[in-house]
Amino acid sequence: MEFKDYYATLGVKEDASPDEIKKAYRKLARKYHPDISKEDKAEDKFKDVGEAYEVLKDPEKREEYDQLRKYGAGRGDHFEPPPGWQSSSRFGGGGYTEADAGQFSDFFESIFGGGGRHGGFGGFRQNMRMRGEDVHARLALFLEEAYNGCEKQVSFDVTESDSQGMPLRRNKTLKVKIPAGMSQGQHIRLKGQGAPGFGGGEPGDLFIEVELAPHPVFTVEGRDLIMKLPVTPWEAALGAEVTVPTLGGKVKVKVPKGATAGKKLRLKGKGLPGKTAGDQIVVLQIAVPHKHTDDSEALYKQLAEAEKGFNPRAHLKV
Amino acid sequence: MKTETSYQVEILDQRTRFTLREVCERSDVHAEFVVKLVNYGVIAPIDEGPASTWAFDAMALARLRKAQRLQRDLKLNVPGLAMSLDLLDDVEQLRREVARLNQQLRQFMED
Repeated sequence: MEFKDYYATLGVKEDASPDEIKKAYRKLARKYHPDISKEDKAEDKFKDVGEAYEVLKDPEKREEYDQLRKYGAGRGDHFEPPPGWQSSSRFGGGGYTEADAGQFSDFFESIFGGGGRHGGFGGFRQNMRMRGEDVHARLALFLEEAYNGCEKQVSFDVTESDSQGMPLRRNKTLKVKIPAGMSQGQHIRLKGQGAPGFGGGEPGDLFIEVELAPHPVFTVEGRDLIMKLPVTPWEAALGAEVTVPTLGGKVKVKVPKGATAGKKLRLKGKGLPGKTAGDQIVVLQIAVPHKHTDDSEALYKQLAEAEKGFNPRAHLKV
Repeated sequence: MKTETSYQVEILDQRTRFTLREVCERSDVHAEFVVKLVNYGVIAPIDEGPASTWAFDAMALARLRKAQRLQRDLKLNVPGLAMSLDLLDDVEQLRREVARLNQQLRQFMED
């Protein structure tokens, strides 16, 4: 087991005052809160910070930890509490919450014993018939997965009770069939997959909010998919039939004669499927070759002559 | 061979509603807390009216849970929660917008 340096976790000195510790904790809790931070592993960091504060805010626990820190320093990954070690400060909860306390590390448990099993609460619940809590989770999907539907593993934490009725956090993984056509922020529900009920109450539900990962070609607006389609100046001027990718496969699209850059073509029903399927909106972009042949240059000169009156910079007043 | 159950889901839309009582039971909160969140505009019932007639959609339910977590972990009061959640919404929207614009910029630079 790795020795956890709680002072380093909170970024405070060994002799930091309780006020300094509280300040550091509050700042880091805000920074790494999973509902606020988009940082990688924010949730783990938030838990580490909470665990460090749980120990350092309590003078008794802090003193015991300091003793162990002297003993454990330099042992790296191979920390074990000294033989016969017993904490005098029974972990009985404090500022840290019941919901997360069960997730303290093995390191914490080896020192202070029995994770976040708060007393008193389970007994109260045992005698009551109560519905289990709902669990809310988020699930990121690639646009192709959202379009076609898919099967996904969803992991989430759920609070259950052990044989003594004490709350216990457990990680649960379910294989879930995601129907085709989920859009950004849409919710789905799995009935009865939340926390179990108490005293015969029915279990809670699992709610999953869908998040769509950015796509290299399409941007999503509601159920509509928007993409840029490069066309040549002659395709735009003369009109053309061009091939366009959609999530459902390639389709032929007519570019109307005299089209300009920025013109939008709507492909009905080619967006995200659903009761009312979205559309795919194709925005034209004019693309020109990087190099021209002598023949094309001659033709451009002819074109320049014929279109003399056109000033594309008129709006810039030049 | 071990077979894994694949769970079917129910898609929630505007027609999926939760009464005030259901919201309280599902989230293990007092009705007073929900009323406060509504009064501060953190969540809104589908139709205005007396609290006993309120119904909420799944988005409101998810937002309530977020509010609960923030209150629990950061000790925020309800006005603080309201402001934080509004700002978080703005940040989320801006993050998406920046990602979209960056993507467009990359395409533009490649042209």
